[in-house]
Formats: sequence, structure tokens, C-alpha cells
Amino acid sequence: MKQSNLKYPCLIAVLYFGMNVNAQVTQDSAKVQKIDEVVMIGYGSRKKVDNTTSISSISADEVTKTKVLNASQAIQGKAAGVQVIASDAPGSTPTVMIRGLGTVLGGRTPLYVVDGMFTDNINNINSNDILTYDILKDAAALAIYGNRAANGVIIITTKSGRGKLSVSYDGLVGFRTPLKTIKMANGSEFANYNNAGKASNYLNPNQPYDTDWFKEITRTGIYNQHNLSISGSSEVAKYFLSLSNYDEQSILKGTNYNRTTVRTNNEFRITKGIRLAQTLSATFTNDTPKSYGAFTNAYKQSPLVPVYYPNGKYGQPIYNKTTGNIDYEGGRFNNVGNPVMQLAYDNQRGRNFLLQGGLKLDIDIYKDLKFTSQFSGEYGNYKYYNFVNSKSFWLDSDPMRTENQYSATSPLTRLTNKSQNYFNWLLNNYLTYTKKIENHDIEVVVGTEASVKNGLETLIINRKDVPVSKDYWNLSGVDYYGNLYSDSDTKALESIKGNRNTTISYFGRFQYKFMNRYLLSGTIRRDGSSQFAAGNKWGTFPSFGAGWVISEESFMKDGFFDLLKLRGGWGKIGNQNVPLNYLPLSMGATYNYAFGSSPVSNGVTVNKGYDPGLGWEVTEESSLGLDFGILDKRLTGTFDIYNRKTKNLILGVVPYMATGISDLNYSHMGSVVNKGAEVSLNWADKVGEDFTYSIGANYSYNKNKLASIDLSKPVSQIVGGNLGNGQDTKLFNANAVGYALGSFYLWEADGYDANGNLKFKDLNGNGVTGSADPGDRRFFDSYIPKSTLGVNISMSYKDWDFALSGYGAFGFKVYNGKKAQRNGGENVEASVANDFWTPTNTNAANPVNPANIPIASTFYLESGDYFRINNISVGYTFKNLTDYVKSIKLYVSAINPFVFQKYSGYSSELSGYNPTDPTAEGDPYKRAGVELDAYPTLRSFVFGVNLNF
Amino acid sequence: MNKKYIIAAAFLILGAVNQSCSNDFIDVSPTEAIPEGALGEIYNNDAGANSLVTAIYAKFLDWNMSTFAWIGVTSIVSDDADKGSSASDSGSDKDILDALTFTPSTPSFKELFASNYQGINRCNQALKYLPQLDKADPQLRERLTGEAKFLRAFMYFTLVRSFGGVPLVDHVPVTGVEADKLMTLTRKSKEEIYAFIEKDLKDAAAVLPSGTGGQRATKGAAHALLAKVYLYQKKWQLAVDETNQVTGYSLTPVFQDIYKVSGENNAESIFEINGSGGTAGRAIQQYSQVQGARGTTGWGWGFATPTQGLYDAYSATDSRRDATIIHRDMTLYDGYYVGPNTENKFYNYKAYSSNYRDQASTDVNIRYLRYAEVLLIRAEAMNELGQTSAAVPFLNQVRNRANIGNTPASSQADVRSDIWKQRRLELAFEHDRWFDLVRTGQAQAAMAADGGKVFKVGKHELFPLPQDFIMESGGLSAQNPGY
Repeated sequence: MKQSNLKYPCLIAVLYFGMNVNAQVTQDSAKVQKIDEVVMIGYGSRKKVDNTTSISSISADEVTKTKVLNASQAIQGKAAGVQVIASDAPGSTPTVMIRGLGTVLGGRTPLYVVDGMFTDNINNINSNDILTYDILKDAAALAIYGNRAANGVIIITTKSGRGKLSVSYDGLVGFRTPLKTIKMANGSEFANYNNAGKASNYLNPNQPYDTDWFKEITRTGIYNQHNLSISGSSEVAKYFLSLSNYDEQSILKGTNYNRTTVRTNNEFRITKGIRLAQTLSATFTNDTPKSYGAFTNAYKQSPLVPVYYPNGKYGQPIYNKTTGNIDYEGGRFNNVGNPVMQLAYDNQRGRNFLLQGGLKLDIDIYKDLKFTSQFSGEYGNYKYYNFVNSKSFWLDSDPMRTENQYSATSPLTRLTNKSQNYFNWLLNNYLTYTKKIENHDIEVVVGTEASVKNGLETLIINRKDVPVSKDYWNLSGVDYYGNLYSDSDTKALESIKGNRNTTISYFGRFQYKFMNRYLLSGTIRRDGSSQFAAGNKWGTFPSFGAGWVISEESFMKDGFFDLLKLRGGWGKIGNQNVPLNYLPLSMGATYNYAFGSSPVSNGVTVNKGYDPGLGWEVTEESSLGLDFGILDKRLTGTFDIYNRKTKNLILGVVPYMATGISDLNYSHMGSVVNKGAEVSLNWADKVGEDFTYSIGANYSYNKNKLASIDLSKPVSQIVGGNLGNGQDTKLFNANAVGYALGSFYLWEADGYDANGNLKFKDLNGNGVTGSADPGDRRFFDSYIPKSTLGVNISMSYKDWDFALSGYGAFGFKVYNGKKAQRNGGENVEASVANDFWTPTNTNAANPVNPANIPIASTFYLESGDYFRINNISVGYTFKNLTDYVKSIKLYVSAINPFVFQKYSGYSSELSGYNPTDPTAEGDPYKRAGVELDAYPTLRSFVFGVNLNF
Repeated sequence: MNKKYIIAAAFLILGAVNQSCSNDFIDVSPTEAIPEGALGEIYNNDAGANSLVTAIYAKFLDWNMSTFAWIGVTSIVSDDADKGSSASDSGSDKDILDALTFTPSTPSFKELFASNYQGINRCNQALKYLPQLDKADPQLRERLTGEAKFLRAFMYFTLVRSFGGVPLVDHVPVTGVEADKLMTLTRKSKEEIYAFIEKDLKDAAAVLPSGTGGQRATKGAAHALLAKVYLYQKKWQLAVDETNQVTGYSLTPVFQDIYKVSGENNAESIFEINGSGGTAGRAIQQYSQVQGARGTTGWGWGFATPTQGLYDAYSATDSRRDATIIHRDMTLYDGYYVGPNTENKFYNYKAYSSNYRDQASTDVNIRYLRYAEVLLIRAEAMNELGQTSAAVPFLNQVRNRANIGNTPASSQADVRSDIWKQRRLELAFEHDRWFDLVRTGQAQAAMAADGGKVFKVGKHELFPLPQDFIMESGGLSAQNPGY
């Protein structure tokens, strides 16, 4: 929300943000920005130079420079210490890690504070509406948010009106293609490879079909975005209205995504000293998701299989046992379906409506005392369906099947309808007292906050035998009771009300500045949360920070350093993002049983452990930083180091196997340490009057380590990174201490044996190797990058401007899951089919076609290091064309044009995002870092225009 | 507006907010699941008592209890079935099981171990809470206690036959109690487990009702299972005594009828796990589909294919052969034609469901205890006690039902061999073959005859305990010898 308590210099900064949203960086305004930059610190703002904590502030211009759906993806590489792992799947949420990963359970996302409202996901926010994007990084800054701040906080404020009435329009159109493609084996290479594995010529190498499945399921993606905003202000009111539409047809055939947002932000000056600000945004999203297993199937399906047989039916991997040719009947040489057929039958649609809004009242009680009361709410509604044409799919799965063979008791079609809604609200009240006495500057904030997250209410209905046409699914007068469908894992009708989550908080902050150079600040917050059992609900989170603006000292003033500031702090923050802690009864379909011919009886049991002592997960951090500016502030930079320890790490764990409890519960299990450093440097200068440029780079290093595990707890281990074929690639147990979270746990490949199969090292020296000896597995690197690098260059010459940004991540590994998932008969990469072990080629790069499922080993573990040019854009602005048109800018932008990566797969940026399992994204013990069913990274070319009236 | 009014209003709002935010605000009762504390108010009645035990039976429907892993370690591993499916499809570890090259990290053993303990947990939970339901009928509760004990004994019998000594978890472990932690991590001896099983079955037999039909545990089921337990421990006289308590049952005249829907829970059935297919049912997950025929005219994945050795072991007149084994170019009992181009030569007929042929959820039941087996147990035990001539009539009952006439054997050794052979032919694919081979000492020879598989004496009599269990026990439990 707007902090109208700004002093005059800060007002300039606000005006700067406004005017330069769609314009170039000029030298003078850049200077103004650096002196009087203001950062949002939560329940207030502060001048950057007076701030004692580590906050990265990203301008609105930077947030919109890369044209993507979610603003968090656009800031990749622009802030030191902030790691973004993005997925280009439409509608996906990027994983944001601030100063390392400190927690393992669900709730790894940083807290987004959007106009004061707490939210987890900013997919609904139109990037063009963002005025400030501030990332609070260290605990001294985060402690004001207490119980939700352990993963970092991102404060976003949306635009409000200023100045004269102005209208601006932004439009763009872009084309998307995969950034990297993999060359797969062709028909004869495939046949030879498989024949070699079976030592028989069961497949004929000369076949009429040679299908490139990846090409068959993808298309050139196209997306466009239109944004119109009107803003202005007068004596008594400021107004802002924006409308936008984002539409994408992504590369996987049939995946479409459309988002429309309407936003109105107004501020009313009711009387002198009383201001009311209102924000309201409505977002409508409509998308047709598809299962990303299509990519894996396209990778695995043989090129010998045609998309369609000559008689028009979908091709299947069936071969004639005598001739070895693809045929209508015979044996099946692999278990992979026809990817084009699976996409064609994948019929899903989701519609989302999200309403966010708030009211903020500021009252100036005395000259120095201000009272603020803020109420914000969020309402979301989601509708989804999934239609399966079961009979048709069954018939098409085998060309020899006929209609009368279809079982009379199987459903003809199946339809799932899901409807969800929720409402969250937040109310806070606080007093701000500012006083300046001679050389002393004091600001004190004291307040309370109450927040309620009502549980998600869900209604799911599964029906069968509905007509194929969507128009006839919801007919009037029809009793659908007879159409309800359930089986061993589908329930006919589910109605779920999620548990409620409430919090009360009390917080206070004081900030003190002495002689414009000595800074001291402290915060304290006390939170009570409903998630924990009695006795564990409350936690206190203090912090303090100190700073010294050395350049203001008499001995330094007007010296070499324009700005030299030292700052440091310590703080304690918490994480309460666990499900409600209680012992539930387990019931439902999997506990029901039908005795004889009786109808199904209900069963109930207790299938969960319970730890009543579960409380907050607490992170403590100490940090130190240095800001400097030299050479007339043309070269500026910051340097930070930090040490974060997350004690009483909460993990979902399952008790010992013999207890028979199969559902997990949460318990405090250990501690995680993140230590690191961040450096950022920026050089901005101008040559002559017309040419200005700036070059910036930031580098961060973070070492993540599981420091300890509580061995007294009766817990089993977490096995993760499952490949769906019985192999797991990650492990969390007592032996994982000392390694990073999410480290891969694999056998170590060591050349080939006499038959050309992979050989493995015998690490425990017992003479047994490979899958027979699990003791030979050990930990390797994690998928979490150890260091990241961001590079941002911008130049402007007269009316031209140019920008380039790049991002790289280093020091991590990824697992090529799709290559390792073989069950037999699948396709391989061309490099494998042409270079595998044979008795005459024993030094090949790949083993012989394996007869068994390959075990999880380092053979499939590759370095994930990459550096990618994220964005190159060139633009030209026509200024002051007529009285009405202030400026027209035309620009061309390339997103992800080049990547330098060591990994042989599509992309080493793997967040684990899975549309069917929203909790999987970013979970270190699911598929993050494993390339399986992952959406490839896309390269886009964008043409756009900005018009300002 | 007057500044003072504003100040007053501001503090009033602050105050009001604080007043309403009392500590009750952060006390939330769950809405997603019923908390365990409410068991006493909502489940304290007959229906509640029943549902505690229903959940135990339901465990047998789970994938990890009765499907792929179970089929692998009882059928595929033996000489009755091969892996099946296509040559390149390993079924994740079924090829290893078939070849007897399995190791502690073979996934099927972890499923076998974990699933049975999950069932045992449900038994222990029922036994813990039933006494607390004071408003439910006491006789009903007593019967349900008997059922829970029977099912617990059944699962421990599976565990001890597979792994030998295992942890003996006889009550719900409490976190923080050291003794309970040791209980779940320390293997007991085989003898202790057997003693516990016998006690549970005796307790169950005392309170369970009599009656035929296998859908719920009955007195007959408790005695039949106890007889089998004694048979495995070579306690012949006790086995005979128990079989004499199994009364009221009779053999189904036509063998094939046992496996049709009409034969479910009939007069021969002593204990069956019931699957009901279709949309309103609860089925043994994918049990039929995993073993269904594969390829053209097939309907399933094609695993656990009967061996040529098993097919040839039946004589041509044996009515059991074409009720146990589906072969190419065969018309099934409901008229469905299996063509000549299926992926494999033979498939398991006992897992076939006519009504729900290729669906994941079918109405197939698993018959764990039948009267025919009780007759064979009695015959075998009596034969071992030297009462060969008294044993032969019981053997003949089973043989005559299968249309192969009386046994030609008369000496104790020959009768023994014939009983063992009839066990194989009668109970094929009823999840006993491997355990029978091991307990009778035939395993090495039989596996060598089944394609030269190497059964290592001194190692393969027991399956390896899952590696995960050995690791989590932290030294309290040792692996079985040879692994």
C-alpha cells in the first residue's frame, strides 16, 4: 500500500518510478534513484541508505523487461542471493529460494505480501501492475513477519495514480520453440540397438516408418499480451485502472492458457490527515492442461511405430513375430502408448477466478503519530473437469479390438468435475511514531495483526457414461445418481472442507538514526498459530540490526567513497507451514470392504503417528553487509555474508516399518545450515550527452548442509526422486548428515563388465556390487545450485535502447530420469544407438542395451551447470509525436536465445513442477532435479509496442 | 472532523480488535478428518465396532498386500509360474524373482514386509479400541476380537513362512517408550512367532461362530489355519486334531465352479478375500489385470504365466488342468475366445473375471483356505504319523473330485509324494507353492527342473529381509544367512 508518509526526497523517487515504467534509464534520474531510493520493509518503508538490513529492490522496469507470465520468473538473475528455478509450462509457478533452502516440508515458498495481503502465489498478478518488488533477505529484515518469514519475504506493491491523467497501452506477441532438442535414434538405429540387446533379430531394421515423436506432439507456441492502464491524480484522489489479457498456446499441442486481470487502485484523501486507499483486482484464468507424461512418452516411443496405421488407426508398438515388421497383431515390444493418441484423448480444462482486495486507512493523529488500519481479503474459486472417452480409448489402443469385445461392465466415458473455493482475510492495526530531535531520528511502530486462512472447500464428482459432447454433461431434470463412478482409486463423490488456519500476532519495531550515520534497529514479533497443539502455539521472534554510514563521517566525507556503509544484524524467524497437528482417524474407500455379496461396509482405523510436541520451525541468522559507491556513484556495489541455521527442522516422516503405520506425520528432526556470500556490482555511466550504459553483475554462493538429525525419534527414512520404475535417486536418513538437502544417493558406475553392462564400485569392500549390495550407494551433489550468477547490461543511445541479461547456476547435478526409466523396448538417443558396447567396441560411451531396469547410478547423473542469456531486447522510442501521444516505443526481445549447458537432456532447470501434484514443486525429495515428465525450456521471440498518451 | 474524535475512534478500533482476538481465536477443530479423541462419541456403537475390523479385511485388497509383489514372491518365484509378459518387460523385479537372483533390496520383499505389518497394525488398533466401545454389544465385540486375532495370526503366518523370525508387534507401539521401539526393531525367533500365532488362533477359535462360507473368519477358519500352522511345524498329531474340528464343509462337485462368481463363499470355502468389481465395489487391486492374458485377444499384463512343467504335471483327464491354466486357442467358460497370438503360451485361469475382464477392479476372490486343503493336510499329517491307510481315503476324495481316480500309491513314501503332488495340482496359484517346496525339502530339485534355476540350500529357504528394515534397525536385527 502506498506510504503517503514519505518525505520530499522520497517523493521524487516515487515520481521516478512512475514516469519511467515504460521509458529508458537516463543518467540524471538514475542518480536521483540511487540517492533517495526507498525500500519497503514491512508495515512501512525506509530510505535505502538508512536501512540496516539486506533488501534487494527490483524496479518495475526490470520486472516487466522479460515478458513472462509470472513476475518471479522475470527477476531471475537480478538479485543476489535469490535463486529462481522456473518452468516454462503455462500456468506454472517458479521456485524461489532466498539464501538457500532451509526447510524440507511443504511451505518452501517465500511469503508474498501483495499490498499487505499474505499470499503464496502471484500467478494472478499482471507484471505491468507492479510498482515495487522488494525482497527481504536477512533475518533482521524478516523478523517483522515472524512466523511466516523463514523462507524469505517478497513485498509487492501495485501501482497507484500520480500526476496528470495518463493512458498507456502495452501490447506484445511472441513465438516460442523449445530451447534445446535431443536427437533420438531413427528407425534402423533403434532396431539394431534393440536386437543387440536381445541377441536376436526380432525387429526388422528396414521399416517404412520413422516417426519423430517430439515433433509430432509439439507445435510452435505463440503468446500475446495486451495491457491498458489509466492513471492520474487530483487534489483529493488518486486513481489507477488497468486491464490486461495474456494468452498463450504453448508448444505441447493442445495446452492453452489465458489470463485476464482487472485492477483498480484508488486513494482518497477524505480530509486533511485521513487517507483511505483501496486496491481491488479480479483475475480470470482459463486453461487446458495436458499431462506432461506426453514428453516422456515421446522420448520413449520407438520411431518404428507410425502415428497412424495405413487403415487410419493409431499406431501401436506391435510387431509381427515372424517378419519383425510393425503390424496390426503380434507381440508388443514395449509398454509405451502412442503419444499423439494420448494427447488427443487428454481432455482437461480449468477455470480460476481470484479476487484480491484491501482497504487501508491512514489517520494522522498528531504531527508525529499515525494510525494505520488495513483489511485485506482474497477469494478464490476454481473449477476443473477431466473427461476420458474410455471405450474409444480402449478400442484405439489395439487395432484388432472390436466393439463387442468391450466389457459390458466397463464405463463408456468418465467425467471428473472438481470445484474448489476459499476465502482468506487479514486485519492489522498499527501505530507509527516518527520524531526528529536535533541529531536523533526515531521511528517506532507498534501493532497487532489477525489472519484467517479458511480451509479449501472442495467438491469432486466422478461420473461415467456421460455423452461425448461437452454440451450435454449438465442437463436439467436428470438424476445423475446412477452415473456415479468409483473404483479402487476413484471416489464417486467427495466433499472436503480443509482445516482452518488462524494466527494472532503482536509486533513492534524501533529504528534510530544518530547524526545521519549511526543506525540501530530492532524488531520483535509474537505469533500464536492454530496449527499446533496446546502449549506449543506461541513463539517469539526478535531481531536487531546496526549500521554505520562511514562515508558520512568527517574523515571520509567528500573522499574516495561517495557511499560506504557497513551493516549487520541478527534475527530469529519461524515457519508454521505444516498441516494441522492432531491424530486423525483414517477412513475412506481404502478402508472399506465388501463381505461376500453384501454391499460395501465402512472401515475405520488409526494409521498415523502423532507428535504432540510439534511447534515452530525456527531459523536464526547472523549477517553482515557492506554497501559502497565510488567514482561519483558510477560504480556501486554491495557485499553480504550470512549464516543461517534452521533448528528443529520439521519433516514428514513415517514410523518404523514394523509399526505398520503408512501415513506420515510431522516431527522435529534435525537442523539445516546455509552459509553464503553475495556480491553485486553495478557500473553506470554516460558518454557524451546521448549514450548511457550500465553493466551489473551479481554472484551468490550458498552452501547448504543438513547439520544434524535427531536419532532418538522413531522414524524411518525418506526415499525420494522416484523414477516410477522402482528406482529411487534420493535419500534422507541419518547418513545424510553433512550433505546438502536433496542430495542424490546412487551407485557409482565404474566402466563395463565382460558383457557390456555397467559395473559398479564396491565401496564397502564386501565383494558384492551393483543392485545386490545397497551398501555401495553413497551421496553425491544435490540439485540445488551452489552458486548463481546474474549479468545485466543496458545501454541507450538517443532514442534507442538495448538490454541484455543472463543467468547461470553452477555446482549442482541433475538426474536424467527419462533416459534411466527404461522398462524394455523403448527408444534411445541417437548418441546412444550409435555408440554402445559391443564386443568390438568395448570403449563405448554407453553400455549394451540393458536387459534389466537400470539401477539408479552416476551414469545418469550429469552436471547441471549452465549459463543462459535470459533476455536480449532492443527498442526504439518515438517521443512527442503529437499533442496526444507522448511516446511510442517499439521493441524486439529474445527470451532464452542461447544456453550453454553441460547437460545432455532438454534443460537442467528442473523445479519438479507437476500439474497433478501441486506440492511436488520445489520439494527436495520429490522430482526436483530429475528430468522426467518435465516441460522443456522454451525460447521466445517477442515483438511489442508501448504507447503512452 | 475533530481530531479528538479521530483519536478516540482509532483506539477504539485497536481495542476492539484486541478484545476479539482472545486465545480462542487460535483454537481450531479439524474439519478434514475426525480426531482420534472423538472415537468414543461417534464410534461407540455396533457399527463403529464393526468398522474397526472391516478395515483389517480391507488391507487385503491393497496392491502392496495382494497384487504384484505377492504374486511375485509366491507364484513367479516357484516352479508353477514364470515371469510372463513380454521378454523385455521386467515388471520392475519379477525377472529377478523368477531367476532366484533376488537380494535384500528387491522391492517386492519390502512390500511383502510392510504390507503385512500395516495389516497387523490395523488388528492391534482394533484390539486396542474395541474394549473402549462400551455401548456396543459385548458379544459382537467378542466375536470381532476373535476375527482380529485370526487375521493377525494369518499375517504373522505369512511373515514367518517368508522371512523366519520377525519383530513381534502385539500392541500399538507408543512413541517415546523404549521397550516399544525395541519391539518394532528386534527380530524374534521363528519359534516365538509360531507360539504367538498358535495362541491367537486358539483365542479366536474359542469365540468365533461356526458356519461355512469364507467371507468372514469363522471357527472353522481358525481351526483350519491352526492345522496348517501345525503342519508347517511338523506337529502332525496336533494338525490332525485341528482338522477334525473343521466340520460342516463339503467339496464342490465341479472344480471349475469354485472359481466362478457363483462359487464364491460356497460350502467348500473356509476363508476367502472378497473382491467386488465395478463402480460400487471394492476389489483386490488389479489382481486380475496383472495376470490377464497379454497381446491380441488379451486383456491384461500377462504376468505369472503357468510353466510347461505345471501343465505337463496334470494328466489329460484331470479336470483341474483346464480350470487352472488358460492356453492359446481356448474358449473360456463364458464363451470368450482366447486367440493363438497372445504374447505367452499359458495364463492363470483362477484370476480370470468374466464380468469385469480387463478392468483394474474385478470381482475375483482369493481363496486362502478350502476344504480340499484341509483334507490334504489331514492326509499328510496322518501319513506322517504312520497311519497311511487311514490317510488315503482323504487323499482320494480330492483326487476323485478332480476325475483322476484313487491313488495308486500305498507305501508311506509314495503316498507322501502323491499328497505333495496333489497339493501342487489342487492349490496351484493359491499362493502356497513356494512355501510348500521349502517346507518339504523339494525346492532344490524342483527349481533345477524348472529351467535350471539354482536354489541355494541354506539361503533360499527364507526370503531376505528388506534392506530398509535392516538399516533402520541399526544393528538390532540381522539379515537372513546368505544375503
